[in-house]
Amino acid sequence: MSGDVLQKIRETNFFKELSPDASAAVAAKAAMRKFAPGEFMMRKGDPADSCFVILEGHLKVVTNDAKGDEIIINKVGPGESIGELALVDERPRSAGVIALEDVEALELTKDAFFELLDQRVDVSLGVMRGFSHRLRFSTTYIEKVIDWSQKTAEGDYSFLEQTQPIKNTAGSDDDKAAQLLSAFYSMVRKVKAREEDLKQTVERLSFEIDQERRKREFEEITGTEFYNKLKQQAKELRQKRMGQS
Amino acid sequence: MAGKIVSIHSFRGGTGKSNVTANLAAQVAMTGMRVGVVDTDIQSPGIHVLFGLDEQKMGKTLNDYLHGKAAIREVGFSVGENTGEGEGRAQLAGRNIFLFPSSIRGAEISQILQEGIDFNRLNEGLQTAVAEFDLDYLFIDTHPGLNEETLLSIATSDVLLIILRPDNQDLQGTAVTVDVARSLDVPNLFLLVNKALPKYNNFEVIKSDIGAKFDAAVTSVLPLSFDMAENASNDLFSLRFPDHEWSKALKSIVPFILNAK
Ligand SMILES: Nc1ncnc2c1ncn2[C@@H]1O[C@H](COP(=O)(O)OP(=O)(O)O)[C@@H](O)[C@H]1O
Ligand SMILES: [Mg+2]
Repeated sequence: MSGDVLQKIRETNFFKELSPDASAAVAAKAAMRKFAPGEFMMRKGDPADSCFVILEGHLKVVTNDAKGDEIIINKVGPGESIGELALVDERPRSAGVIALEDVEALELTKDAFFELLDQRVDVSLGVMRGFSHRLRFSTTYIEKVIDWSQKTAEGDYSFLEQTQPIKNTAGSDDDKAAQLLSAFYSMVRKVKAREEDLKQTVERLSFEIDQERRKREFEEITGTEFYNKLKQQAKELRQKRMGQS
Repeated sequence: MAGKIVSIHSFRGGTGKSNVTANLAAQVAMTGMRVGVVDTDIQSPGIHVLFGLDEQKMGKTLNDYLHGKAAIREVGFSVGENTGEGEGRAQLAGRNIFLFPSSIRGAEISQILQEGIDFNRLNEGLQTAVAEFDLDYLFIDTHPGLNEETLLSIATSDVLLIILRPDNQDLQGTAVTVDVARSLDVPNLFLLVNKALPKYNNFEVIKSDIGAKFDAAVTSVLPLSFDMAENASNDLFSLRFPDHEWSKALKSIVPFILNAK
């Protein structure tokens, strides 16, 4: 098997912890498969009896909505693995996978996979490392999301400046945690922007004073004899009090 | 230095004049100043309620003084020695704050309205109150509008605080009051906005818009508040709920009073 193929195997998240030697052992047990555009690599509900490493071409991961229409939930391509979780947890296929173009992939059957695990400690260890890496990765991200949620609730958006936005990689499901973080990040950015917009549209008090009426009323009040006397008295009173202080 | 007379006025009733006057006077008293509060809203007195005074507790009134039936010394009610019920008011215990209430008896109110007020006597009463109670500040809760007794308190005051709600009628009336106060040479003219709706989300903008319109300092903008309405003048709100937005905004008026020339 060519070095190219080994390279692709080790690009997958599932096998990326494998040594070159161990990936060669995986490759030796796997079979090369080709899919024409529109051809199913797997169907939803099928027993999960193998996994694939994509070498060439792209596929769509699909499921059906309530009406039975196809919805694409993901797209996968070279260097990504597919169906490997099902090998371990023995659940039927959770989604269908259909080639979008000519696809070349390595298929590793469940029997071959378990044989490998049995025979080669380094492959077992590599696969386990892959799992734990993934777990750790997700945990870190989840902790971040928790931290950011709390900050956002308190109106503290400082983390937006302190954090680099993560590229929204619509890649394999290993990146789901990263996608969550990225979606969360852009959500908070939008919330903050909306909040700032709101603050800026200040409701102004619209009022016009009727100046003529103002003048008329002022003259009515100040035009009396009482007022003139009062004004005079107030003046004297102030002068008197100024003198006292 | 002689005590200052601070008149609190509004063009229309229901603006919050009595609540602002009572709370402001209480806050100034809390700074250690000797404070008096006169209810010259003889037609519709109300401030006594805020100080926990009812008809039974009320002794001599401003009406008695004006009719020559009592000396001003007898009218002054020492709130600091009679705080009564109310968590907020209780904090005034030991403070120097004196209330000069107006009669709440119907017959006495109509009598004085018929006979009219002797302005010289009222004026003398205010000066005597300041002197005999050794007051730093005498707050006057005036009758709304610009009738003669109100003009008198404006004319004699050192500080005039005009309360308005952010609506067109109040603004129009306030404009006339401001002109009159200027014509009477009131040395310190301040505005205060009360019952500002939450839709005016930036009170600073209201402050500067109104300030610019009247060319006068707006001391503070107090929010319209359900909590205030709920309190229904039963207690001194700013003492009872010191961290409430209304109370914080009210307390920000105090320095304007203390620093008035
Ligand atoms: N900012 C406010 N928000 C809600 N209610 C208020 C506010 N200020 C005053 N009030 C209420 O308005 C009513 C009138 O207040 P009051 O102080 O008696 O006004 P005035 O003396 O101007 O007639 C009272 O019931 C009072 O509790
Ligand atoms: Mg009143």
